Amino acid sequence: MSEAHEILEVSGLSVDYVLPLQDVRAVDDVSFTVDRGEFLGIVGESGCGKSTLLFAVAQLLAPPALIAAGSVKFEGTNLVGLTDKQLSAIRWRDMSVVMQSAMNALNPVKSIGAQFKDALQAHGKPSKEEIATRSAEVLRMVGIDPVHLKSYPHQLSGGMRQRSMIAMAMLFTPDLIIMDEPTSALDVVAQRSLMTQIKELQQAYGFAVIFVTHDMSLISHFSDRLMVMYAGQIDELGDTRTIFDRPPHPYTQGLLEAFPSIRGPRVPLKGIPGNPPDMAAIPTGCRFHPRCPHAVERCTVTAPDLYPLDGDLVRCLRRQDGTLPKADQQGSLSR
Amino acid sequence: MSELLRAEHLTRHFKIGGMLSRRTLHAVDDVSFSIGEREIVALAGESGSGKSTIARVLARIYTLTSGQVYFEGTPLSAIRSRRDGLRYAGLVPMVFQDPFASINPVFRVQHGVLRILKLHRPELSARQRLDEAERVFGVVGLGADMLERFPYELSGGQRQRVGFAQALAMRPKLILADEPVSMLDVSIRIGLLNLMAKLRDEEGVSILYITHDIASARYVADRLIVMYAGQLAESGPIEDVLTAPKHPYTQLLLSAVPDPMAPLSQVNDRGEPPKVVDPAPGCRFRWRCPLAIETCSTVTPILAELQPGHEVACHVAQTGAEVKAFAS
Repeated sequence: MSEAHEILEVSGLSVDYVLPLQDVRAVDDVSFTVDRGEFLGIVGESGCGKSTLLFAVAQLLAPPALIAAGSVKFEGTNLVGLTDKQLSAIRWRDMSVVMQSAMNALNPVKSIGAQFKDALQAHGKPSKEEIATRSAEVLRMVGIDPVHLKSYPHQLSGGMRQRSMIAMAMLFTPDLIIMDEPTSALDVVAQRSLMTQIKELQQAYGFAVIFVTHDMSLISHFSDRLMVMYAGQIDELGDTRTIFDRPPHPYTQGLLEAFPSIRGPRVPLKGIPGNPPDMAAIPTGCRFHPRCPHAVERCTVTAPDLYPLDGDLVRCLRRQDGTLPKADQQGSLSR
Repeated sequence: MSELLRAEHLTRHFKIGGMLSRRTLHAVDDVSFSIGEREIVALAGESGSGKSTIARVLARIYTLTSGQVYFEGTPLSAIRSRRDGLRYAGLVPMVFQDPFASINPVFRVQHGVLRILKLHRPELSARQRLDEAERVFGVVGLGADMLERFPYELSGGQRQRVGFAQALAMRPKLILADEPVSMLDVSIRIGLLNLMAKLRDEEGVSILYITHDIASARYVADRLIVMYAGQLAESGPIEDVLTAPKHPYTQLLLSAVPDPMAPLSQVNDRGEPPKVVDPAPGCRFRWRCPLAIETCSTVTPILAELQPGHEVACHVAQTGAEVKAFAS
């Protein structure tokens, strides 16, 4: 991977929530890169730090959260420490964010067109015609009739609102679009349709996507690389297909086995025992060991690093030597 | 299997708009189904299809516009006194979607259970109430020490178990569970689904499981009812419906379920829900249906049994033709 292809380089990023009793580290030493035009999926349960990580990448953190260490290099510029003014030149033009709930992200008392206009005018002085043409253009890209520029958010369905958020994020054809669970408020049919569309747009316009979700199966067909987070750390980072075919980390295995399938035999599932850890009282050693079916004694004392395994990275002591124990290779996903 | 609840031509309309408005939202239109004893029936459909309205009608939160619901042979309209209402509420309790909003945050967890026991089973002494509370907590997999906790000390999964424990304390026949797992993390969901199966198998409770997640429905349910735009599209034994879906909407729904182990299916449906304000007759799915014929725009399809227990409301399927609208 040459330097020129990397659009985003996050290294050693840690985020603390500064609280009266105790500081809580929500994101702990996270490093990854995103290539131009790549689709990176980030998966994890609630409280694993995935949204905090996104906010840190987009420099949207507000107190009590603050970046304690690390850098976020976007197209060669370190975003950490930039002023709001410097950031606003980049935001929306080169990097945009699509939030989870479009109902809350859109202004309810302004028409869609007026909100597009605001965004366009924030970067330069476009003429009326330019605004009208570009707004209609992006709405058409996401498959909405431009007459809806005059519509207010409440007049649109949930799927259309989410689509218009994506249209807005594409106003300047940015290089990176960050999406925080954009489909979780939609039902399966609308969800599938939106995912397909995001992928098509991405291939047509070549922007990179960071897509955060708690639903692993949703992005299985769409993301190039997958990052699994647990308790503020990267648990696993690698090629999506490889991870689905033979998940090396016990947590990922558990996540995949927690899904009932609509095909094949009906098998009893167990899910992952226990609950995600309290970030103020993180377990010693491997953070997953209290819930891990394969945990051995050293897991309770030694904190694992990210070890390479067939080009992927895995945070598990049992993968330290770069191999996959035989038992696991078949064990999971036999369904 | 004997019948516990039967809904006949269930209809619930809402007036919308201002005082002078004549517009009516048809949330549920002419829906008939039954729930047997010791049976989990999954009610699936997209948001706005009327699933929750049905749960609320069955819980007597909404009155019926027309139609009738029979519980153990007695019509709900015959419940007039407060005592009968209370008795019915105890036999058919509800478990809600959001475990963070459905438990009072200022009291210990036992507060809710003990109050329910006091109200619904006044014959118990204070000591017996506490014992019973411990018993139902044990059934749902919570330790007795949980009774002393405050809701904020509990995780989402534990809170939802408290919801089921509260329902169980009433000695119910049928639990109305409205999206009980959709707010929980994926690793926790399976535990709750297993609990629902346990309540059916060991406590003999029936459950109406309302969900938009077909895969989880398949995991626990015996029968599946698919709703579309306030009407029943298809119903039957769950494996029959999933292996041989007859209604084009069911096929669309199945094709959209994300499955990492199957190749991606090509479906070009936007997922735009239909308007159900003052609907004209005809099939409400016809705009999205690739197989729609002329009859579909004039005559509202009614349920017909195509195979034993497997009913479908689709003109095309009822002609006996093979329906293949969306490949899954």
